[in-house]
Amino acid sequence: MNAPTPADPSVTTRDPIAFELFKNSVAAIADEMAVTVHRTSYTSVVKNNMDFSTAFADCDGVIVAQGLTLSGHLGAIPVALQSVMKCFEGDIHPGDVFAMNDPFEGGMHLPDIFVFAPIFIEGKRLAFACTIAHHTDVGGRVPGSSAADSTEIFQEGIRIPPIKLYDRGVKNATFFRIFEANVRVPDKVVGDLTAQLSACYVAEKQFIELVERYGASTVAFFMKEINIYAERVTRAAIENLPDGEWSFEDWIDDDGVDRDKPIRLFVTVRKHGDEMEVDYTGSSPQVRGAINSTYSYSCGSAWTAVRAILPQDIPNAEGASRPIKVIAPEGTIANVIMPGACAARAMTGFRMTDATFGALAQMLPDNGMTASDGGNTNVSIGGYYRNRKPFIYVDFTCGSWGARAFDDGHDGLSHIKGNMASHAVEVIEAEYPIQFLAYEFVPDRFGPGKYRGGAPYRRDYKFLEAEAVLSVRADRKRFPAFGLYGGQPGQPSENVLNPGTAQEEPLTGKFSRQIKRNDVFRTMLAGGGGWGDPLERDPLRVLRDVRNELLSDALARSQYGVVIDRQAASVGAWSVDEQGTHALRETMRLARGAGPLPFVTRNWPADFDGTDIRAIEAAAK
Amino acid sequence: MSTAGAQVAARTYRVGVDIGGTFTDIVFLAEDGRLLTRKISSSVDNYALAIVEGLRELFEAHGLVGADVEVLRHGTTVGSNAILEHKGALTGLICSEGFRDILEIRNLRRPHLYNIVWNKPQPLVERYLRLPVNERVTVDGTVEIPLDLVQVEQVVDRMLAEGVESIAVCLKNSYINPAHEQAIKRVIEARAPGLPNCISYDVLPEIKEYERTSTTAVNAYILPIVKRYLETLRSSLDASGINARLLLMQSNGGLITDADAAKMPVNIVESGPAGGVVGAQALAKKLGLNQIVTFDMGGTTAKASIVEDGEVSRATEYSVGGGIMIGSRLLTGSGYLLRVPAIDLAEVGAGGGSIVRVDAGGAIRVGPDSAGAFPGPVCYGKGGAEPTITDCNVVLGYINPQFLVQGELALDAAKSREAVAQKVAAPLGLSPEHAAYAAFRIAGSNMMRAIRAVSVERGRDVRGFSLFAFGGNGPLFGADLAASLGMKLVVVPPSAGLFSSFGLLYADVEHHYSRTFRRVLSSDGVADINTAWDKLIVHGRAQLQAEGFPPERIRIRKFADMHYKGQSYELAVPAPDAPLDGTTVPVLEETFAKEYERTYGHRSPASIPIEMVNIKVIALGLPEKSLVPERLHDVRAAVAAPPPRQVYFGPALGWMLTPILRRAALALKTGGPLIVEDYDSTCVVPPGATAELDGYGNILIRL
Repeated sequence: MNAPTPADPSVTTRDPIAFELFKNSVAAIADEMAVTVHRTSYTSVVKNNMDFSTAFADCDGVIVAQGLTLSGHLGAIPVALQSVMKCFEGDIHPGDVFAMNDPFEGGMHLPDIFVFAPIFIEGKRLAFACTIAHHTDVGGRVPGSSAADSTEIFQEGIRIPPIKLYDRGVKNATFFRIFEANVRVPDKVVGDLTAQLSACYVAEKQFIELVERYGASTVAFFMKEINIYAERVTRAAIENLPDGEWSFEDWIDDDGVDRDKPIRLFVTVRKHGDEMEVDYTGSSPQVRGAINSTYSYSCGSAWTAVRAILPQDIPNAEGASRPIKVIAPEGTIANVIMPGACAARAMTGFRMTDATFGALAQMLPDNGMTASDGGNTNVSIGGYYRNRKPFIYVDFTCGSWGARAFDDGHDGLSHIKGNMASHAVEVIEAEYPIQFLAYEFVPDRFGPGKYRGGAPYRRDYKFLEAEAVLSVRADRKRFPAFGLYGGQPGQPSENVLNPGTAQEEPLTGKFSRQIKRNDVFRTMLAGGGGWGDPLERDPLRVLRDVRNELLSDALARSQYGVVIDRQAASVGAWSVDEQGTHALRETMRLARGAGPLPFVTRNWPADFDGTDIRAIEAAAK
Repeated sequence: MSTAGAQVAARTYRVGVDIGGTFTDIVFLAEDGRLLTRKISSSVDNYALAIVEGLRELFEAHGLVGADVEVLRHGTTVGSNAILEHKGALTGLICSEGFRDILEIRNLRRPHLYNIVWNKPQPLVERYLRLPVNERVTVDGTVEIPLDLVQVEQVVDRMLAEGVESIAVCLKNSYINPAHEQAIKRVIEARAPGLPNCISYDVLPEIKEYERTSTTAVNAYILPIVKRYLETLRSSLDASGINARLLLMQSNGGLITDADAAKMPVNIVESGPAGGVVGAQALAKKLGLNQIVTFDMGGTTAKASIVEDGEVSRATEYSVGGGIMIGSRLLTGSGYLLRVPAIDLAEVGAGGGSIVRVDAGGAIRVGPDSAGAFPGPVCYGKGGAEPTITDCNVVLGYINPQFLVQGELALDAAKSREAVAQKVAAPLGLSPEHAAYAAFRIAGSNMMRAIRAVSVERGRDVRGFSLFAFGGNGPLFGADLAASLGMKLVVVPPSAGLFSSFGLLYADVEHHYSRTFRRVLSSDGVADINTAWDKLIVHGRAQLQAEGFPPERIRIRKFADMHYKGQSYELAVPAPDAPLDGTTVPVLEETFAKEYERTYGHRSPASIPIEMVNIKVIALGLPEKSLVPERLHDVRAAVAAPPPRQVYFGPALGWMLTPILRRAALALKTGGPLIVEDYDSTCVVPPGATAELDGYGNILIRL
């Protein structure tokens, strides 16, 4: 095989066959790692929620492939790996395995433990296998280690700076002893770490085969080339977008500590030539509660939104993010500094992606989407059985998408920044002292639009043991999901204890509290925002929602101006009253007057006028 | 409807019929190995028509009558087509209060990382036909809220008023206590006698509500369609004087009677591709090959599977539709989920019709979009403008433009060359043949992902395996793929292009049963598991006996789905024949640990117990004698081979004058390059490889 230099842009065309073969093979390794973690892990959050990611990197720690896992993690893996490499420069050997979780050294939040295994062939380092998994508990003040209301990192669990889990094949028993002593369910957590190690083992085995097939130098060359290729196709795609600068803001309800004090997210997208900048300057200073995002996680938020509006066949390699620069000033909600808490930062990251879609929608009026349900809701229930054995149930759930510029938002599908799976209700009941009373859509809560937002679902959990700590992180209770181009916001989220009983108690979005046997906790997601004028919505889509009891007849009229003929005894035979609809829509159009529809509609709380912005900006200076 | 194992008067032919979207393939096999084949266009409006028509044509051509057919074995896509095209029955789904949307919420996963255009497949039952009933069964099977039969009647009546043609029932925790589902079934049968319906406990008595609901809903959705189809087929056969038994291929590779298939059609959804794998399994056994990879490539997709030590590999669940992808083993959220045992096939969207193009980054892309049967490849001259893999194969000289389906389909080679030159070669500055070769190899690399998914990614070293290549395009790619994967032997079976129907002739009657028993095993406390296992065995024996199998031709096999306690993904392992006790429990656990280690590279420490999740039984009805004749001979009249032609074997070797042979000419070992043109497929033997015919009519290509 010829050995052109990696800088040569024509290499893929000179030997397109071998390159394509290789690209497929490396992608398969990352996917196979994901299969391994999924199948061999122990805790619900990893095996059922699938809150983990896998990737494969070249000898310099540059990602060449990501498994079919979570979008948001791709930004973080390179930062974490670079941190480990810097820390152990000159001390990376065959048989080493590294771990870390410290947000202040490239991590995201303490539950996310990274495991990196360098792969050597004949003494030469050629690659890294990378996995990151959300561990069900890493100690700290609440079970599940994900409380939104912690105020400094030291409350959140055990910090692992870059360390060696294995040193030239020898297990770091000291670390494991300390670690096991500091987490609530050590056998399960270590089981999940083992699943990560298995994935690295599988990757190494397959990579060695690749090297046998292609030879070490060709493999090294192609790994560089994948990123050059990914960067080239990304630049070509960005080049086709209009140049300019667009800003967007959104607000988070609060941080769970300073109750009802809203937190601003502000983003500016700048596009020039074949490069883009996503700038979070103008976002709130970092907060006391644990929802501060790290820079690495913020990068993932920005990249996810931009990648979503670019062509889909760009490889999931680091090169694709090179033309997209992310700015997040230190000490802000988008880039936490010591000793800020960040365990519950996922929500902020999801919301940063949504806000970035708001900016991109101004650049591309027919691409992208509106706001989704507000970042995944975290429910952790932890306590002890009568025999004093601990249990921890951790779930992250999100499901109502914002409407897309060309179609409705999804009902019941993981947010674009995550790709969590849902737990099987029956398995949860078999494994935890929890009974599910409901898991289904709630009608009349999605944001209207030409394309409507996704319908939210509710979950009712009944607790069956003596007592436990319930820790929740939810948002969009005060600031619902915005609508764009005339689309309307969705309805807010809700949390309530013991609904429909004498003991009914409304709950805030973020809290940790005791619960007792037979308490029922209900969480309901926010509805997704709508896109476009609801009066332009295809009446047949409205009919379908009414027939399916996702939309009431009253709202079909008042929000969409659609009159449904419900004379037929059979629901399936209901139809759109064309004349009535036409007349009602005309009346509604007249009533709202001429003039363009607003670009964004928000339904901010009545007592909020946005003036805090200046105070925030002053504080930031 | 007839039975499967009953003694019948001596008849001559076993017949295999495989229906695909484009072609219906018919194979007649006599005990002495005489082989008659026919490939005809499918009759999409009524698939039974093409079958009867094809049979009639073969009868006339060979002077046969209906009574010469001993058994008709059938693989059909009727079920999967109904799902893919949303042409199933208007179906109602009765569920537990509070859980109305399990079918639609699915598992929340998306199959792509950054794709916002992708849509979830529409649920097979719309929300207004998913109606809850107030009831609650706890995790241990206790009834917490009893079923209200008056409400059930109201719900059933409401569904009937909506005109449902079928009803599915799936309640939470019914896998452990089916009483409520059974009561609902009685109400349905009282209110609407004869209305197709099914309850989840009968379809899939296993834990996990989404998997169970989806499988039950699919079963109900296709129930009336499959039933009607099988009845039409039966009556058409009877009318043609063919009274032979009708057996259906299941997704798991075993046969069931048409009566059973009509009751539980969810078992025959992936009926089509199973035949080829089972056929390869039977041939491999004859040839003494312990480890094979089957590779089946047609017009739109390529499928791979493995057979190890004579066993096909089975998956416990799979998805229908929703795009074709390798990652499908990783809970992707695409398609319609069916949790029924199926031959574990990895599938990629790479076939003869796959479109070839150059992307913005200067890389050649093949598929996954396909030109399909219409407009088809450019060379078909039916309006296709995008070059396809078939066009590339024409450019390379692999495909004879005058001889596809023995000249029944003439191809325009000049058009292929022009399209490849303009759309692929020119942007890259390559010659058309070099560009076509690049596309050929890249298509191969996509297909390698399918083969690797079932082998390497499961800890199997594929270099020790032999490749069985079949389907219209399989023999064309087989040798190249095998060489790339380091495999040494390629087997191209007789009638390779219609091997899916040929393979049907080798399948056994087979029934699968399962039940959830979620428990860490110990030598005591297994009495109820043994009882349940025995019950499944008794059930299996009874079913086979009812189908005419005497006890000595019934084989029972036990399996267990197990994992380390706390995990959610199970491995299915064979269980000892003897009941569980102090001796057999450790044996079972060791079997699991070994398989786990083989798959994932390590065992868990002994401190983590092994948990049983499901018990399973496979009941096999064995044939009286081996189904594979000692030798096969195609009775098709020999057509003279065309003259040698120029064929392109890559930039290094360039164009080579290549002999074109008929299969029979390979009785003597011959070195490549050469091309074997059969009635139904084209086999490429590259330079450096040798090819010869074995006693069963297989082409053996050694690399």
